[in-house]
Amino acid sequence: MKLHPILAALRKHKAGTVLIALQIALTLAIVCNAVFIIGQRIDRVNRITGLDESNLFLVSQQWVGAPNADSADGVEKLDTMQREDLAALRQLPDVASVAPINSLPLLNSSWTGSVSHKPGAQLSGKDNTRTAYYFTDEQMLSTLGVRLVAGRAFNAGDVQHQGFRDQRDRPIAIITRQLADKLFPKGDAVGKVMYTDGSNAPTTIIGVVARLQIPSTSSQGNDFAWYSTLIPTRLDANFARYAVRTKPGRLDAAMRAVAPTLYKVNPMRVLDDDSVKPFSDIRARAYRADVGMAILMGVICLILLCVTAAGIVGLTSFWVGQRHRQIGVRRALGARKVDILHYFQIENLLIVGVGVAIGVLLALGLNLWLMSHYEMTRIPLPYVLTGVLAMLAIGQAAVFVPARRASNVPPVVATRAA
Amino acid sequence: MLKMTHLSKVYRTEVVETYALRDFNIDVKEGEFVAVTGPSGSGKTTFLTIAGLLETFSGGEYHLDGIEVSNLNDNARSKIRNEKIGFIFQAFNLIPDLNVFDNIEVPLRYRGMKAAERKQRIMDSLERVGLASRAKHYPAELSGGQQQRVAIARALAGSPRLLLADEPTGNLDTQMARSVLELLEDIHREGATIVMVTHDPELAARAQRNVHIIDGQVVDLSEDPRFHTVHAVDEAHG
Repeated sequence: MKLHPILAALRKHKAGTVLIALQIALTLAIVCNAVFIIGQRIDRVNRITGLDESNLFLVSQQWVGAPNADSADGVEKLDTMQREDLAALRQLPDVASVAPINSLPLLNSSWTGSVSHKPGAQLSGKDNTRTAYYFTDEQMLSTLGVRLVAGRAFNAGDVQHQGFRDQRDRPIAIITRQLADKLFPKGDAVGKVMYTDGSNAPTTIIGVVARLQIPSTSSQGNDFAWYSTLIPTRLDANFARYAVRTKPGRLDAAMRAVAPTLYKVNPMRVLDDDSVKPFSDIRARAYRADVGMAILMGVICLILLCVTAAGIVGLTSFWVGQRHRQIGVRRALGARKVDILHYFQIENLLIVGVGVAIGVLLALGLNLWLMSHYEMTRIPLPYVLTGVLAMLAIGQAAVFVPARRASNVPPVVATRAA
Repeated sequence: MLKMTHLSKVYRTEVVETYALRDFNIDVKEGEFVAVTGPSGSGKTTFLTIAGLLETFSGGEYHLDGIEVSNLNDNARSKIRNEKIGFIFQAFNLIPDLNVFDNIEVPLRYRGMKAAERKQRIMDSLERVGLASRAKHYPAELSGGQQQRVAIARALAGSPRLLLADEPTGNLDTQMARSVLELLEDIHREGATIVMVTHDPELAARAQRNVHIIDGQVVDLSEDPRFHTVHAVDEAHG
């Protein structure tokens, strides 16, 4: 096509050409990285917890005037109170199952530790693998909807109880498949022994579940997001959390029944509006910052793209106005409307092409800078290529209206006084 | 070559209709050099724009090189402009962003001509107007006369069947005007058909035949004593 005369004309309009190319380059660099960050946030938000989220809610409550968990007697009394609550909740008609639990995925209230093949391993040593513990009972798998893929589930006889601050041996545990694969890559974790938190007491793995996310959603938890360990122990304290799975479609009814039921068991407790919340609330709260960041970055990208598109429209419109007579002369000399349209489209393609070439370098440079200063991974090439194609498409879309206006300049303009 | 029969051009607004050309008849034979004269507002430029297919007309017939052009679409009109007509404008109408070579190349590119042929034609036409050494100059680096010569070279490069000149010396001083006119006369002697719109009687006198337009119509000056001062009306067409 006719590149030479277009380049010759662009050389005469250096300032506008360079400015718009730089604007395109900056937009591409920022948008590519921003979209990559948005993509990472969306991936985080869309991580599958492994739970039956739609029928799950959490009860967090605190007794008033409860015994102290530091004494053995107090622990026994607290455990009795907890079992009474569990029994009452399990009797509710809309409830399928209930389990005591110290936390839930996405709750951002974690009990983290480490597991190792070796006894007495240093907590910070390379032999350790970080994990998050769920202390619970035999109804946990059915309550959370977590799928057992190997071994067996806990039974009532497996379940111990302990004071909240007590340290006890953990003779058995269930772990997630991801943790099992990390510890035992051959896939034979069931029946094997591991050591928790640098202990010398062995913990036998009796089962493996398909997936169970850890409670933490912070970036520090990204490295071990699926490394969960389930311990069959009720923790006794003056507060307790119960995971409740309802019968399908009975979530609201079951939630409404919780407070009256528990008050009937023991009125000396605090149950406020925030004490009974569906898992959807936990999810929304956990990822509020991620969603907010993604929306903010999306809006910034949109504004940047709009400003760049407006810049292209503005510059092209200015050039069309400036070259009005010139366009008429071209038409008089035999240019068809489509020739004029193509002229501006190719001119735009050249400017945007230079802009995206610089923009690709800027995008990769910005990504390297973010990697060195923040927790950012290398931007995948498809993001950059998609950005390039998007900028080229936006450029063509933005230039279309002024270019079509140019193509409608009649040839008779050539005979009119300048 | 160029034949208009009962041609009219009407500009309509909501209130009035203005006839720029009315029952306009003209017949230019191949190889003629015709000057079209007339006072300001008589319709000279309207005639030229219609003749050059830069504008459509309202009624009548127009045959250009044997083709009835009234029903042609925009693309076909562009093609005829490109291949059959060479334009020489009063304001030269060179593209300031392009050098002389590139300016002359513009219509040839629209014709889809091969690069080697384009280059040959451009250099031939520049030789013809005596500006071969200025091929890389930009219009702003040339005098008015040189710019008009470049415009003539651009018109000639496409080997048009018809040259349309709109006040070709209107923006030039006397000496430059003379050299441009001599160039047009040379081109005519070589067989080109030229229609030149001018209000300059002296310039019109150099043409082979004069056509005078008043109020959008061709008038026969030989029968109107008011115009006896205007000379050079071709008796054969009077």
